[in-house]
Amino acid sequence: MMPLDQVLMAIALSTYIVGAIVLIMYFFSRAEWQRNLGVPLVIAGCVAQFAQLATRYELTHIWPLLNLYGSLSLFSAMSVLIFIIFAFRYRLWFAGGFVVAIASVFLAYGLTWNEGTLPAVPSLQSYWAKIHVPIVVSSYAAFLVAAVISALYLLKHYFNRSLVARTTTAALAAAGAADVSMSGMQFESASAVRIRRDTPAIEVAATEGNVVARWLSTLPSLAQLDVLIYRVVAVGLPLLTIGIITGAWWAKEAWGAYWQWDPKETAALALWIFYAIYMHLHTRNAWRGVRSAWLGVWGLPLMLFVYLGVNIVIGNGSMHSYKL
Amino acid sequence: MAARVGLDDLFGDFVRTWSNVLFAVSLFVVWGILTLLGVIIDQNRDSSIYFATYAAPVARLILRLGLDNVYHSAAYIGIIGLILSSLAVCTLRRVIPARLPPLRPVKIDRLPLHSRIDTPLDPATTRSRVENFFRRRGWQIRKRELGGTEWTFADRHDWARRGVLIAHLGFVIIATGTTIYWALGFSGETAILSGQTVSIPRTSTKLTLLDFAYRIEPIATKGGIVYQPIDYVSHVTVTGRDGRARRATIRVNHPINVDGTLYYQAAYGFGVRFGVLHYGKPVRDLSEQTLKEGDVLTLPQTTREVQYSQFAGTIDRQTGMPSADPRPNDPGVILNIFDDGQPVGTTLARFGHAVDLGGGFAIVPQRYTMYSGLQYRHDPGIPLVGIGALVLLAGLCISFYLLPARVHVRIDLQGAGSSVAMAATTVKGYDIFESQFAELATALPRALKAG
Ligand code: HEM
Repeated sequence: MMPLDQVLMAIALSTYIVGAIVLIMYFFSRAEWQRNLGVPLVIAGCVAQFAQLATRYELTHIWPLLNLYGSLSLFSAMSVLIFIIFAFRYRLWFAGGFVVAIASVFLAYGLTWNEGTLPAVPSLQSYWAKIHVPIVVSSYAAFLVAAVISALYLLKHYFNRSLVARTTTAALAAAGAADVSMSGMQFESASAVRIRRDTPAIEVAATEGNVVARWLSTLPSLAQLDVLIYRVVAVGLPLLTIGIITGAWWAKEAWGAYWQWDPKETAALALWIFYAIYMHLHTRNAWRGVRSAWLGVWGLPLMLFVYLGVNIVIGNGSMHSYKL
Repeated sequence: MAARVGLDDLFGDFVRTWSNVLFAVSLFVVWGILTLLGVIIDQNRDSSIYFATYAAPVARLILRLGLDNVYHSAAYIGIIGLILSSLAVCTLRRVIPARLPPLRPVKIDRLPLHSRIDTPLDPATTRSRVENFFRRRGWQIRKRELGGTEWTFADRHDWARRGVLIAHLGFVIIATGTTIYWALGFSGETAILSGQTVSIPRTSTKLTLLDFAYRIEPIATKGGIVYQPIDYVSHVTVTGRDGRARRATIRVNHPINVDGTLYYQAAYGFGVRFGVLHYGKPVRDLSEQTLKEGDVLTLPQTTREVQYSQFAGTIDRQTGMPSADPRPNDPGVILNIFDDGQPVGTTLARFGHAVDLGGGFAIVPQRYTMYSGLQYRHDPGIPLVGIGALVLLAGLCISFYLLPARVHVRIDLQGAGSSVAMAATTVKGYDIFESQFAELATALPRALKAG
């Protein structure tokens, strides 16, 4: 019989896959039933994944964090969890299919690194491992979510731009889109938040039956997407900061110096610098929007390099290749 | 006079550039790129390694630009210095003076976030209800009569404007802490053979290794047997400044503190005593030393050298080669032989078996003793770095999660009632406050009605 942890892993992966498909359908069709089905599936998958991590610990008494199998599993669980929190707070379910699909790919990839259970080498036998690793992995998860929203931003922005050339001012005016461009937000009706139309060409094309425009017009406005990206990065960057601080603290206990210019810690510093750049640029009006969304997207390959590339490609010289 | 004005202009331009966020970002970009280069290019290796890894022109470039030791290069330290100076100028010129903006009338309809509510209440009652509404939600209220109109200003999280200052200050404190280590700290490594005593340079500490113990366990995994280290421990006697000897245990992740210097378990190895024979007779000087891995013996009156390269814990009986098991079951040593500085061969020598080195010389590994590799470090900057890290983190959280905002409210008499016009501004533009403003605009009419 399959051990319990593997059963839970199979449940998590399969519910993620089905949940991702249903939520991607929801992105395109906006049928309520798809969201009502997809969201519980994704939550169930996330619960199963955390249960799997706990069960694996119960069975082996080894924290499942210290190899790529454990850490990728935690990474996907945290990505989905952080996404769920943001989705409840900011009604982000439209992006859920993409986040969960990417998380499932990482989870499946992590399964290929399952080499059985090894007790931790001495330098990893520290309570700091239980604090440092989950925090760093959560910050990566936040950057993944930010990258997905940034990609949606760019999709909407560039699609709008491609339509603008084809849309006449008269058509914009006829659709009532021209006067709500970026000029102002008046809350006379004082209703709940409405979708601001800062992509008028998409609004017009949507009323004319353009399928892509119809999908995109249901996304939050570009301005709101930009704020969402900022808010997610504003969770990721402090988490990464705490991750680097706890890592330094641990290094001080294990190796004698809080900073050794080890490839992994330096790579994390580079990622920190990258998002500090994002934050500084975001204080400037001219850099909010398209440019910062590009940064949000570029953060993903950098994060993956820092997270996986350094271990897999460069790992040899690193203390994080887990040798004494 | 003209020269004075010119200098003032120059100074003004300098200050403007140095305190510009885009200048800071450019410095960050250079810092980030240098940091990544150090991740990608192996650091502190022998120059031959770079020539073996990269095409010759690239290897030459790496060495010439000092990219083989980026983090201690002038460029790297220089960029951090520039960041600190830019940070200081920006903080003094922009961040500290950025106090609560003055109370001024605004053109409400021109601000992107604005709203108007008509109410049958008279202006005085309306004003007091508006004020209560904001106060109940934690906003600070101030009133001014400006140009004949009475304005109400509601401010929120004003103190959070200091978040940027706190984050920047945290960074400076960390930099100061690391500089203290450069100025006053020291660190080093020492390898102590069992039974040996060493004095630690720059301290009055003496360490004697009583014994070194390890636990390595064979564990079956899908990829075969893995010899997993479980524990490394040095049992030592330490004598510190007070001259009293005491026993201590140093383990990975559990350093000991002697007079403010920390001692860490870092490595271990096998010291080997070799018998060196010349035409069958022991060469006394060479035979009385215990060598550690990497040590070299020079044979007298020859150009030959022997290096004790590595200890092989277990030699596989069938293949005669070292096996993966590092524990000393049937041990041997790997020797490199050089002539005139050139390698001439590598050989595996079992304990008690002589290896011919030519010229009448032979070498026999005789016995091994374990040694413990300890690292020590005295870093008086650590408390400051720790405080700086916490201050930085606090600054980040304040800047990111608390949004200083102001709502400008104007109440005018309108017919028998009044009209309330309000508009919001924040330190991070308008979009970020959109939904909160919508919520205020929804809740205010209800509050006016309810009283
Ligand atoms: C090169 C040196 C630096 C300069 C010139 C600089 C300048 C600035 C400026 C002008 C702002 C915007 C202030 C405003 O208008 O509200 C800012 C924001 C900020 N800075 Fe820096 N900065 C520098 C380095 C740093 C460093 C090293 C850190 C990290 C510790 C940092 C953390 C922050 C944070 C957290 C914010 C607030 C961002 C936000 O609220 O979205 N800065 N900085």
